[in-house]
Amino acid sequence: MRKISTLRQIVTQCLLTLLGFFVILPIWGMLRLAFDGALRGRPTEFRLFPKEWSLTAFLQVLDRPYQSVEFSVLLKNSLLVSFGAALFAIILGISLAYAFARFRFPARKQGLFAILLTAFLPPVAFMTPLYILLSILQIRTTLLALVLVYASFALPFCIWNMRAAFQSIPKEIEEAAFLDGAGDFQTFQKITLPLAIPSIGISGLIAFLMAYSEFAIGWLFVDKADNVTLAMSVYAIVQSQYSGGAQPWSYLGSLTIIMSIPVIIIFLIFQYTLLERMLFGSAE
Amino acid sequence: MKRFEVPIRVLFIVLVAFIAWSLRARAVEKLGIDFDEDDYLRAGQEYTHLIRTSNWSGFLDTNYRPEHPPLAKIIIGLSLLSAPEKDLIPDAPTTAEPNRYIPQELVQPARTTNAILGWLTVLLLAIVNPLAGLALATHTFTIKYVSQVMLEALPALTSFITVLAYLQFKKKEKTNWLITSGIFLGLTATSKYLYCVVGIAILIDWFLEAKSKKQVKPFLRQAMMWGLIAFAIFFIANPYLWTNPIGRLQESVFYHAQYSSSAEEVNQAGYPFWQPFNWLFFTPIVWHRDAFLFAPDIWITFLAIIGVARLWKRERVYVLWMGVALIFLLFWQTKWPQYILILTVPLSLSAAEGISTLWNQLLEWWKNRQVQQTAINKNEARRAIPWLVPGLIAFAIFTIFPLIFQIIVSLTDFNTASIRDGFQGGIWRAFWDGITGQLPISEWDGSRANKVRFTGLTTYPYVFEAIATGFGSGRSILFFNIMWAVVSVILQSGLGLGAALLLWQRGLKLTKFWQALFIVPWAIPEMIGALMWFNIFQREWGWLYLAADKFGADSFFGVLVQGFENSSSLWFASFLIPALWYGFPFMMLAASTGLKLIPASVYDAAAMDGANAIQTFRYVTLPLLLPLLLPAIIVRGIFAFNQFYLFQAFFYREGTLATLSYNIFNPSGFFGGGEFATSAVINIITVLILIIFVSMFNRWSKAEEGVVNA
Repeated sequence: MRKISTLRQIVTQCLLTLLGFFVILPIWGMLRLAFDGALRGRPTEFRLFPKEWSLTAFLQVLDRPYQSVEFSVLLKNSLLVSFGAALFAIILGISLAYAFARFRFPARKQGLFAILLTAFLPPVAFMTPLYILLSILQIRTTLLALVLVYASFALPFCIWNMRAAFQSIPKEIEEAAFLDGAGDFQTFQKITLPLAIPSIGISGLIAFLMAYSEFAIGWLFVDKADNVTLAMSVYAIVQSQYSGGAQPWSYLGSLTIIMSIPVIIIFLIFQYTLLERMLFGSAE
Repeated sequence: MKRFEVPIRVLFIVLVAFIAWSLRARAVEKLGIDFDEDDYLRAGQEYTHLIRTSNWSGFLDTNYRPEHPPLAKIIIGLSLLSAPEKDLIPDAPTTAEPNRYIPQELVQPARTTNAILGWLTVLLLAIVNPLAGLALATHTFTIKYVSQVMLEALPALTSFITVLAYLQFKKKEKTNWLITSGIFLGLTATSKYLYCVVGIAILIDWFLEAKSKKQVKPFLRQAMMWGLIAFAIFFIANPYLWTNPIGRLQESVFYHAQYSSSAEEVNQAGYPFWQPFNWLFFTPIVWHRDAFLFAPDIWITFLAIIGVARLWKRERVYVLWMGVALIFLLFWQTKWPQYILILTVPLSLSAAEGISTLWNQLLEWWKNRQVQQTAINKNEARRAIPWLVPGLIAFAIFTIFPLIFQIIVSLTDFNTASIRDGFQGGIWRAFWDGITGQLPISEWDGSRANKVRFTGLTTYPYVFEAIATGFGSGRSILFFNIMWAVVSVILQSGLGLGAALLLWQRGLKLTKFWQALFIVPWAIPEMIGALMWFNIFQREWGWLYLAADKFGADSFFGVLVQGFENSSSLWFASFLIPALWYGFPFMMLAASTGLKLIPASVYDAAAMDGANAIQTFRYVTLPLLLPLLLPAIIVRGIFAFNQFYLFQAFFYREGTLATLSYNIFNPSGFFGGGEFATSAVINIITVLILIIFVSMFNRWSKAEEGVVNA
């Protein structure tokens, strides 16, 4: 391939700028709200830039974004629920992932299909039974319930991905350990697991993000303001607007931006790895 | 076996004919009086009167509802000859409600005549393909509109004969068949213009055939003759045209153009442009509960989709017929349900091929079943046990058990009214008593009781019908969900591939910057991205609407807003745009990963062969890239099918099955809700649909491995 001509360079840059404009447009819309100190409720006039540049909304949101709950409580809940869910999903799924990666046993194919299928189900498909089951157990409104629910959403996906992680480690390494007299479990613990940790971490990260940004199903389960996560509080601000709530729309802008920035950084760093994971590797 | 083939076939055709007639006879009797029936009956009455008084010259000036040519109405008139003479049915505007007081003595013979014509169509089709005949015999939309005083029965029959005669001509090359085809096309036009789409399909097929045989000139000559015959017949059989041909032809043709764009009832219906597809997912059984025994319409549509490739190989013209008709209906602004009758014949043929396709695949699977079983190493299986047991327990508790419990809930009528009972063991009790037969099945009827009841599988047909017909509104949720997945993935893949190709050019500046920027929408949590777009498209204080306020109705934004407000289809774009924004980065990354895998030597070879940029893309890049992209496309397709947060953020109740399920479930939501069992049924239907998608993914990603290894 030859290098491109100047004309083509210019045309391409113009097209990319156009696409860049499309990408930025909605983000810009949120940013202009977030930095507008003059906003009392919903926006009422068209503006490209904030009427009064101000950081009030950010400061407010970092203090008490939702009702009288402090930001730190929401963040704590979010982190607790997301870490909890990711950890649960990984610990519960790891042995099954390893079994499917290394051994042949009856009905293995059907098992793999079941995992893949459940990984593709929408969270809503699990919502109905989990709601009823956790209600019966009388823990539906607790943070633990959220951890379990999100872990359940993420589990099949994590199993599928950790299996890929184990498969990518050459079998020969394990066999060498095996010849040195290590048992299955020892080999796993000393050799395979350390090698697979980065990969497993990515699976956990995806589970974490899933829980971190979930809001709708969370609202079904939780009814106390103290147990609300960040994502849920975003949705609460939107809904309160519909029922005539008093919070300025700039809160929504600043809270979504605060929530998004760490995730964007993570995605920029791990883009290709995340892509590979979300493509479910390749089936056998 | 061969000896019995013919008798079995004949027997099957007789059976189909019997089924077709009994269903039509039932419909003739039980269908309520519908829109337009009074009009066409009155049109028929006028002809009856002319015939009775031997006033033959009256035909020259009689054509009540002149937008449709007279033949089908004359047939109605003939059928009324045996009936007692009644006063003319009063003239009413097209907006009027159906006239329920028209005399039964007239309705009965007119409907029966139409039903006989409809039955003949089935009989002909059954002779061509018995399975297709069965499909058409049971298709409820077809039954409805050929068993009422409508104009559909005759042109449906004549248009089919047009094709059959054309096919005979193609096979035997005898001019007689060509003439027959032309005559019947003419007769079709004299009944209802719409059915003439069949002529376009024939011309396309004919031209393709001639081109492959390099006989375009004789084709032009013959096609000209065929068209002239059709036109001559159209004129001869249409006495209304004789005194003032041009004026009256104009009047009838322009009426349709005007009607479709300005008639009150058309605007009020507000159907989106894809409404013809909605009708294919619909069934009139929701309008007339006792006129039909069962409604296989949606299954015929699904089978037709499966069979279309096979039908193309066997008889291209039928697929062209279906395609031309669908494209025409998509663009035609009037979207009445009876219009789909112009394609139910090829639809049935395609459905029959669909059955054959499925049957062949089943046979293949059965044959390969034993081959695929690989030997299990017992030692290895034993070593797997300690790993499998804890994992399986966790998987069973967190994933499998909830799904099984969901099935149990779906067999009950659990809802907010019975919430206390359900949480205190009522679900188990109802299920257990029901499954052991201690409790009779109480059929699901939407009523609420404070104790959980066992409904068995009775909720399923109700829910399936509701999502297929959009709760009887004609706006199919199931079709929308499928269309949503397909269209949004096509757009995302297109833009993603485009962006990847742009960035892939060697020597391009700022590549890293652009790529980083384009990934951002993917990184933003879906719900937040949806809210960002909500902030633009919201009806009162969205950016777009505020801009329209500020710059006025004539500005770019004003026109855009007007478009959104007045169109019955554009709202679809307000979801597609956010989905495109959110989804294209993923496809861009997948495509650029794929592009890196294509070795440079391939391009050097292409360059040496003198291929230009477009050729290189068409014949080198795309074929190599597509198999790598397919898994990504299917993954995105499944995600789009399950899309929930986008629709939820826009407060749209029925976007996808997942959204509907959530809102039907949510006991404290905007949309009522609290129907736990119904939500469970929707989820199970979703699971069943996803099994098909995931099987596809499984197959395609295997195909990908083959490509990578090759």
